[in-house]
Amino acid sequence: MAAKTVKNPQKKLPNGRGLLRSNTGMRNSDQALIRGVLAGDKEAYGVLVERHGENMFRVAFRIIESEADAQEIVQEAFLRGYRSLAGFDARADFGTWIYRIAVNCALQVLQKRKAEGAVPITEEYDEEHSGVQLSDGGAGPERLLLDREIEHRRHAAMEKMTEDERLAFVLRHIEGLSTEEIAATLDVTPNNARQAVFRAVQKMRRSLTPLWVKS
Amino acid sequence: MNHLTEEQLVAHYFAEDANRVVSETHLRICSRCEQVYEEICNTLAVRAPEPPALKPGYGKRLWQSIEAPLQPYKATKRHYFTWPRLVLAGACLLALAVAFLGGSLWQRARPRSSEATTSPQAKERVVLLILNDHLDRSERLLVELNHSSMEAGDVDDSLQTEARQLLPDNRLYREAVSAKTDPIMSAALDHLERVLLEVANSPDRLSSADVARIEHEMNTDSLLFQIRVLRARTSRPEPKVDSRKGASI
Repeated sequence: MAAKTVKNPQKKLPNGRGLLRSNTGMRNSDQALIRGVLAGDKEAYGVLVERHGENMFRVAFRIIESEADAQEIVQEAFLRGYRSLAGFDARADFGTWIYRIAVNCALQVLQKRKAEGAVPITEEYDEEHSGVQLSDGGAGPERLLLDREIEHRRHAAMEKMTEDERLAFVLRHIEGLSTEEIAATLDVTPNNARQAVFRAVQKMRRSLTPLWVKS
Repeated sequence: MNHLTEEQLVAHYFAEDANRVVSETHLRICSRCEQVYEEICNTLAVRAPEPPALKPGYGKRLWQSIEAPLQPYKATKRHYFTWPRLVLAGACLLALAVAFLGGSLWQRARPRSSEATTSPQAKERVVLLILNDHLDRSERLLVELNHSSMEAGDVDDSLQTEARQLLPDNRLYREAVSAKTDPIMSAALDHLERVLLEVANSPDRLSSADVARIEHEMNTDSLLFQIRVLRARTSRPEPKVDSRKGASI
């Protein structure tokens, strides 16, 4: 078996765990900046953009797997955020709020892709951004070939997922959000969020298992 | 043996299974489930490409790229007098005016039955009730005054305080009961007022000797008797009694 067995996977999970729970100090500071923006200080929004921009880019990239699209999603999310800021609930957390906007923007991009039948930029293997992290030791030609095949299948499985499954999978498995947080972000019930994650894992497994058997 | 479902195994991976210990125990003894679980673990160990590292100043550049089309918010000065608000306020005022006019018209149109029932008899009953209470308090004061004159030493301050409280009420009742309509009541209240004045306005603390003097000079025994008779009259259940009848006493 080529892949390394993960016996305690939960320990590896929290990539972004706690992402939706920003600390109180930052939250208060965000609130002050929002008040400033609503009072006419446009530059205060710039501080919010600088503060949350990287997080937004990261999540957008993980969902969409394209740097250019992720950049556009982040821009669109912050633009929408600015325009909707007057309706922002002062008791809410800005980080969580803008995160949800970014996820929704990503969802729209995914839907658009599906509708247009567009071939995603990363459909073809991109050696520079090869995300397969299973190599243990020497990376011979066989290993590189296998890595390439794994990435191809992983990507194909991602494309087979519905938008909800893909988002739930990324948010749960990569971003490390809890089922309740995913449900709130996607505006679905926790049970639906759990089911979406399960179906996504199932699709991914069906796509990748033949490789484990072969190797 | 009941095997774990794929869904249960995925839940176990994400530490979301309902009974973790049971799942772990089962995985230790069931090779089939263990194999499926291993496949799930291997599948999820395949990581997606990590986001490319962003160059320093990404946030600033991002802000610069979106800044231009954004219009600053106007300072949140609330516009209370926008058209919808004005229309709403106008509608409220109109509704209020209609309600007021309707109410007053209805009031005029309805028969004045309550007024008719409350006018003279009801008023008289209320006056008698209040007067009865006043006479009761005055009677008690006069009784205490009688007792004080028999005891040696100073008289309790409460007697003067009570007299001061009764005095303004008594004046009102005396003015209300005219000598024409009820001469007996009017005379008694006038007499009572003079006694109350004497007790209330005594410059020093009243002694039993002072009280005895007041009693003697102002004939409080007679006043007490008068008040008792008047009280009996005012407390009668039948209010239709002509107050002039009291004059025969």
